[in-house]
Amino acid sequence: MAASRFRALSYLAYRALLAHPLKRVRQRGDGLDRFLASYGGSGLVPTDPDDRAIGEAASACIGCGLCEVRCELAPAVPTVRALGLHAAFRLYGKSSAELPYAREALQACVACEGCEQDCPTGVPISRIVRHLLSRVGAPGAQAPGYAAGG
Amino acid sequence: MAGVMAALAARDRAARVVLVRRAPGATALSSGAIGAAPDAWAAPGEPFASRLGTAAAARRLAASRPEHPYAALGSAVEALEESLAFAAAQLPEVLAPPAGRPLFIATPYGAVATAALAQRTMVAGDLASVRGVLAVASFRGHLGFDARLVAGGLAAYQSMGGPRPVAIDLDLFMRADLGVARPHELAGALEAPGAAEEAGRILRAALPAGAAVALLPPVLGLTAAGRVMERIADAAGVPVAETVSDVPSVPGLRLQAALDARLLAAGVETVSGVVRAERGARPGDTVFAGTRELRARSWVLATGRFVGGGIVRRGQLLEPLLGLPVQATEAGVSGVHLAARPAASLTLRERHAPQPLLAAGVRVDRQLRPLSASGTPVHPRLFAAGAVIGGHEVAADGTGLGVAILTGCLAGWSAADAI
Repeated sequence: MAASRFRALSYLAYRALLAHPLKRVRQRGDGLDRFLASYGGSGLVPTDPDDRAIGEAASACIGCGLCEVRCELAPAVPTVRALGLHAAFRLYGKSSAELPYAREALQACVACEGCEQDCPTGVPISRIVRHLLSRVGAPGAQAPGYAAGG
Repeated sequence: MAGVMAALAARDRAARVVLVRRAPGATALSSGAIGAAPDAWAAPGEPFASRLGTAAAARRLAASRPEHPYAALGSAVEALEESLAFAAAQLPEVLAPPAGRPLFIATPYGAVATAALAQRTMVAGDLASVRGVLAVASFRGHLGFDARLVAGGLAAYQSMGGPRPVAIDLDLFMRADLGVARPHELAGALEAPGAAEEAGRILRAALPAGAAVALLPPVLGLTAAGRVMERIADAAGVPVAETVSDVPSVPGLRLQAALDARLLAAGVETVSGVVRAERGARPGDTVFAGTRELRARSWVLATGRFVGGGIVRRGQLLEPLLGLPVQATEAGVSGVHLAARPAASLTLRERHAPQPLLAAGVRVDRQLRPLSASGTPVHPRLFAAGAVIGGHEVAADGTGLGVAILTGCLAGWSAADAI
């Protein structure tokens, strides 16, 4: 019992007095750089106030699909039809690393505001599309092993 | 629905009517059947036991649920059948006339929905009137509707007097671009010249012996003008019906389109845009809708509940347009003082139990005038209709559209008479 306690405390002392200070000396960049280096590739990026505001606005979406029914772009743009507009919200909410799959659809949608007037819950669809498109090229929007656009 | 019914009812009394709205509302999400007053004493698993007429069921419901809008109306609830007939008469191309008894319409999951009114595309599938074999058809390879699931579920009702369901597959929509088509795309494809007739011929070839009615997925056209159901039935040689629908709902879209067309035909001016009013605004004051400024002597508030934004929760339950008090229920006690209670205390752990939070809304008197916190009408010419009125769970208790139609008609007539 005493021997295992000694070993545990010795290991903690090694980590605190030697390993961690040496690691701090060798580190490059600030905290955000290191965070993004570790997690950005998985799409886990810090949430800024704009993201939070867009997330709150998009949370009014109930997935009813009325925006898709009345979408005039869908018959002409295969990616818009295939993705489904409210699927873009879910893709973003799940992981921004998957957002590049929606690039073509978002680019087609951004100039059109036709569906917003039909949303029963008042989701600001145009504003969300613009924000999602701006995030497609941002850090964390591309995971290793994924190619943008699928 | 409530707002449109109020507008049409007021026009029926020769009033000049302006309907202001941010968006069409939740009617396009409806299943296609209109429930008004389910028989509270009929067992859920035995829908055919529900034999009570609409008016009698509404009276029974009002007696057992004192917080329900039907109870608040008092003797005015007797206008329910008249209101349903008014709605059907306003939309004859979509709604079948009231049958004077409940209708039993199949759902896409093999259950049965009880309705007071149904669309013309559904009444042939009323399970209480089909005698013989009910052919349940799906589109081969299309995952949106499973005929075997539906037939299997409906088979349970055969011993209660329902028809014998038989599942069949139709080789329709086999084109690559339609194999994964959404409901509204299938409905649009069936409206094309010759498409419904081709579907009817394929259906005729696939019908089992003794088929009395064919039940199809709820995609029989986006508009009544397409006459998809009639064209398929003519080619198939049997009556054809569709089930009620989940979202996205083609019957709901069809109903919304018919309502919009009826508003135009009736001379109701529709103004679209974000609707605003000064806090404390009352009839006669200015209302802002988009870029328009409007004044009217009578108002009917039909802004819906949570979906439409008529009731919101920002720290507490609010009616955001006019600042009317919202009544909530906690542990069986109701009052406007409970609107600030946490959402968790306004819900019950049992998921299938009635949830008080979902029944929150404004209180009204017998004339459908919203009440202040002290229980007096806020204004003699301010009325409320539909889901903004509390006391019922719009989507769950089977009375949503019935309340919308009844209160819409009554509020519209009262608003017109009060001018």
